[in-house]
Amino acid sequence: MVLDAPGTLTPATTTDDAGAAAPAPVVVEAHDVRRAFDGRGVLHGIDLTVRRGEFVALLGRSGSGKSTLLRILAKLDTDAAGTVSVPALPAVAFQDSRLLPWARVLPNVLLGLRDAAARERARTLLDDVGLGDRARAWPRQLSGGEQQRVALARALAGAPELLLMDEPFGALDALTRIRMHRLLRDLVSRYSPAVVLVTHDVDEAVLLADRVLVLTDGRLSLDEPIDLPATGRRSHPGFTALRSRLLTELGVGDDDH
Amino acid sequence: MSAPPTAPSSAHPAHPDQLPADGSVRVGIDDRFHRPAPRAAGVRRAAQIGSRALGPLIVLAVWWLAAAQSWVSPILLPAPGTVWDAAVDLVVSGKLQENLAVSLVRALTGLGIGIAVGAALALFTGLSKAGEVLIDSNVQMIRSMPILALQPLVIVWFGIGEPTKVLLVALAVTFPVYINTHAAIRAVDSRFVELATTRGLGRLALIRRVVLPGALPGFLTGLRFATSISWLVLVVAEQINATAGIGYLMTQARTVARTDVILVGLAVYALLGLVSDTLVRLIERKALSWSSTLQAR
Repeated sequence: MVLDAPGTLTPATTTDDAGAAAPAPVVVEAHDVRRAFDGRGVLHGIDLTVRRGEFVALLGRSGSGKSTLLRILAKLDTDAAGTVSVPALPAVAFQDSRLLPWARVLPNVLLGLRDAAARERARTLLDDVGLGDRARAWPRQLSGGEQQRVALARALAGAPELLLMDEPFGALDALTRIRMHRLLRDLVSRYSPAVVLVTHDVDEAVLLADRVLVLTDGRLSLDEPIDLPATGRRSHPGFTALRSRLLTELGVGDDDH
Repeated sequence: MSAPPTAPSSAHPAHPDQLPADGSVRVGIDDRFHRPAPRAAGVRRAAQIGSRALGPLIVLAVWWLAAAQSWVSPILLPAPGTVWDAAVDLVVSGKLQENLAVSLVRALTGLGIGIAVGAALALFTGLSKAGEVLIDSNVQMIRSMPILALQPLVIVWFGIGEPTKVLLVALAVTFPVYINTHAAIRAVDSRFVELATTRGLGRLALIRRVVLPGALPGFLTGLRFATSISWLVLVVAEQINATAGIGYLMTQARTVARTDVILVGLAVYALLGLVSDTLVRLIERKALSWSSTLQAR
């Protein structure tokens, strides 16, 4: 919901209107996606719809095929069977920041963008991620967390409809990760792309997403909305309940943790 | 040792034998962590250069002594002063500059052609399957041949004039540039190519933004090999049927037993090699500033 004028609430997306209007437009539409490597099936028929403004966390154990699915959505893997419809250029954030070491920060953020407004937007985004004064730095002069923030700015600089993230915080230390979670939540609420976040961190999924999917042996074994307030989730009673359900779904009992 | 004990080096646990008798444990005073202050570093560097110069200075002194005491015939080894006088004469008469200019033009033309051809071939083979199939195996085969062995063939084809000399340099330069650039293009990180795909970069933009900068360190390594080899080939090429150039100057001096002039020529070649190597290093430092480990935050 966006506050339009004093006292007037205007729906940002039509989903909030209790079914009275059409749901938000579809950003990702995948149907019966299958993928095998050398005859060994990794994905066995995935159906997935993501709508505008949705933040979807895709959980799975290692080897469950979650990264494969993300790569298919990113059009980096074009050998999959089934139909996939995604925006022309979905933004991708990788586990490594993947900044070009020979380009300074700002050109890295602008990589591939040519429209006149991009430069302005890139500057704003660097300010957003707290690195406005490092636009002329070389990537190797930045810390790991700073590099990942630049990568986040780069991902959003093209004003993408869809942001695909493959364990973007997996390589960061715990404290930096907490800061990145807050930053990502702020950025997503400000630029409102649809997000698909691949992670094996249940807490991360429950803290950030408003819908969670679990991929088990190449099939979606769980798909449900996260009905928790936007902030202060960790202390919410629903957090623990959902967390242990997801852990069980992933084959890890709460006691094992 | 004034290093504070803030760098416990767990990778090198103290060996029991090395533990002090009083049972206290010395932790992590490791020379590798001891960085001298900038000023101290400057002094140390000056001292380093001084000690590096000591060896050549001793050689010069022995040379001077040998000539002064007539231990060797001045025909075989003239005194340092004689060589210096010969150098001054050559500069005053303009002979040195004249011949140096000819040598420089040969080297630079050969270098320019060789670098362009080597880099172009490397791009072609590095970026296309056809290039790899057509060219790479041929180049890899030819490069195992000593380039100077081609001299008779090149003379038969192109005569004994300038083109032969320039061509020999160009040929010798092409291979190190090609091989290093080709390897660097092949080694460009595929993750960056993947990134370029997700950013919608076309083939040309991919080459410009990812492949070329990624291959630049390899190209510059090739360039360094190329400059040093270009002088080597030039020396040989210039001593055969030349009518100008430093090599010609030295050959002429040989026929009239002017050992001093030969030594001047050698010194000039040494200087040329030193200067070109320094230039390439400067280019390297400038072009690869993004990868410099010394750059402060």
